[in-house]
Amino acid sequence: MIKKLTLITSIFLLSSCADTTIQDVGSKLKNLFSSSDPVVEVADLGEDQIILDAEYVIFSEEELSLFSDEELAMLAQQQGLESLAELDEDGNLQNREELINQLIEAQSNSAQSNSAQSETAVDKLVNSGVSFILYFSYDDTEIDEQATQIIIEHANFMRDNPELSLRLEGHADERGTREYNLALGENRALSVKEVLGLYGLENRIEVVSFGEEKPIAFTHDESSWQKNRRVEFVYQ
Amino acid sequence: MKTIKTLTLLLTLVSTMSYAILEVTIVKKQENAFPIVIAPFQVIGEAEQGATIANIIRDNLNRSGQFNALSSNNVITNKVDFEYWKSVQKDAIVFGRVEQVSTKVFNVDIYVYDIYTKKRLYGKKIAVHNSGIRRIAHYLSDKIYNLLLGQKGAFDTRLTYVTVTNSKKYGKIYQLEIADSDGHNAQTVFKSQHPILSPSWSPDQRKIAYVSFKNGRSEVFIKYPFMRVKSIQIPQFDGIASAPNWHPNGKDLVLTISKEGNKDLYLYNLNSKKLTRLTTNIAIDTEANFSPDGNYIAFTSNRSGQVQIYIMNLKNKEIKRATFAGRYNSKPVFSPDGKSLAFIHRVDKDYRVALLDIKTRDLTVLTQNKLDESPYFSPNGGMIIYASNREGIGILSVISLYNNQIVELAQKGIEVREPSWSNYSK
Repeated sequence: MIKKLTLITSIFLLSSCADTTIQDVGSKLKNLFSSSDPVVEVADLGEDQIILDAEYVIFSEEELSLFSDEELAMLAQQQGLESLAELDEDGNLQNREELINQLIEAQSNSAQSNSAQSETAVDKLVNSGVSFILYFSYDDTEIDEQATQIIIEHANFMRDNPELSLRLEGHADERGTREYNLALGENRALSVKEVLGLYGLENRIEVVSFGEEKPIAFTHDESSWQKNRRVEFVYQ
Repeated sequence: MKTIKTLTLLLTLVSTMSYAILEVTIVKKQENAFPIVIAPFQVIGEAEQGATIANIIRDNLNRSGQFNALSSNNVITNKVDFEYWKSVQKDAIVFGRVEQVSTKVFNVDIYVYDIYTKKRLYGKKIAVHNSGIRRIAHYLSDKIYNLLLGQKGAFDTRLTYVTVTNSKKYGKIYQLEIADSDGHNAQTVFKSQHPILSPSWSPDQRKIAYVSFKNGRSEVFIKYPFMRVKSIQIPQFDGIASAPNWHPNGKDLVLTISKEGNKDLYLYNLNSKKLTRLTTNIAIDTEANFSPDGNYIAFTSNRSGQVQIYIMNLKNKEIKRATFAGRYNSKPVFSPDGKSLAFIHRVDKDYRVALLDIKTRDLTVLTQNKLDESPYFSPNGGMIIYASNREGIGILSVISLYNNQIVELAQKGIEVREPSWSNYSK
């Protein structure tokens, strides 16, 4: 009898605690859509909720048309268009369509100006045809002669541009296990760093591994695998 | 800034808040398994929900590969026609009744009879809340499994895994999921734009250790899926931190940390918050897994020049190579009895799940796929779950170690990967 009781209580307990976490969060989020609670609360629900970097977000016309007048006015403020966001006494936008068009334009302008700023020495290096990706053989971290040539060009570039730092991102193909591939990707990036270290650049280099998590080719054969076994040069 | 963030967040959630259901398919059904009848339960009052118990039990037993569980045409109340069931070669029969007590509480009666001896093997009356129906069905499945096979069942347990959804706008969205052992009741622990790897249940099932790239590199975190508390981050050095696995005591984790480029195994104690280095070899040491008694770890290393599996005795730190067949063996996990290892074994160009008897060194290749990953034992040792793929999309597969029956858990259009099985529920 006691056993039975504990079983039942534990079922109650377990099911109720499983319910609260996810459903709680779910209903909390649902409330957000309808209620007038400050939306900022969403960000507090958990540090792992998706938070997108505003700089990369460009809303399409369709999405903008789904926003409320109030939200559009807020967006306009972000883009420095508050003069256009004329709200009437009831808080409705006078020129909703015009504002949406202006927002679309402003978004593309700011995207362009962002890229214009970064058109610097790195772009010149890109245009010079130097590869920013080195490829590797299966389960291998070896740097061959051709790869060494590419690394030397990057080393010279870094010496000419002492303000830049470099992130080496190591990758693996999908074969084998994920955690081993994560380690392998780091070793590939480290072997590139080692060569750059001969030029005294090691303090300006950060090494990151993504293992098999960020492929650039997606078929399950050698044509993709050889593209995915790589180290990418990312200047910052 | 904050406004745009939250607006975007709302959009994201609207588009991805669909309820995740794993679709279950038995790929190769075993007809020579234990023949059993699970009759539909008699329903008294508004108790249709409770009647699903019989279906859940039937599905559970069939998934195990050890039973061939069928339904009967009619509800069985108290008279069992033993002669008929004997003539159609059934060995046992389960029937029962669900009765509504209040809007959310049911009484469940269940009986198990041996058809040959006509003996009642089990009879029980249980009151169950609406929300506990699936759980009680899993509990009863374990009971029946144990009664008829003399082994512990693993139905009342949970899975954790990662799903990856392709979003046109945001690229990939990764979700850490938990679900019942049958793939039902799936719930999202959290979502991220960055890869999630290696989720692992703590022995008490209150925590999940995992790897996240949310800060731009691999780091190990511990999350409390059932509590609203902050996740814990395990300290690390200048490189990767990854591959967490729990000591059976629930207080220590073994993980891979890269220090000055050297990837070694470290022990992290959650109470003292201290890291202890276990290996120092210049090669890659990773994917460590504790033996059930906590005295050994099996791990992957390329110290011989090939990727092979090693076992370390934690008392004297002695390391012995465990795999000798094949040029690539990785990601070992101990069986619950500690006698075998399951891992990924390369056969020609294919990566398959293999089983090794540690003492005799007998190696059995279990699967026939090209790119299998992440094997993990059910807590009773009867099944192995692993990541596989169907038409290029990641799915989970469960193979029965009794007769190689395979069950697939898939989610339409969504990649499912990185499975791990919980301990027995308490």
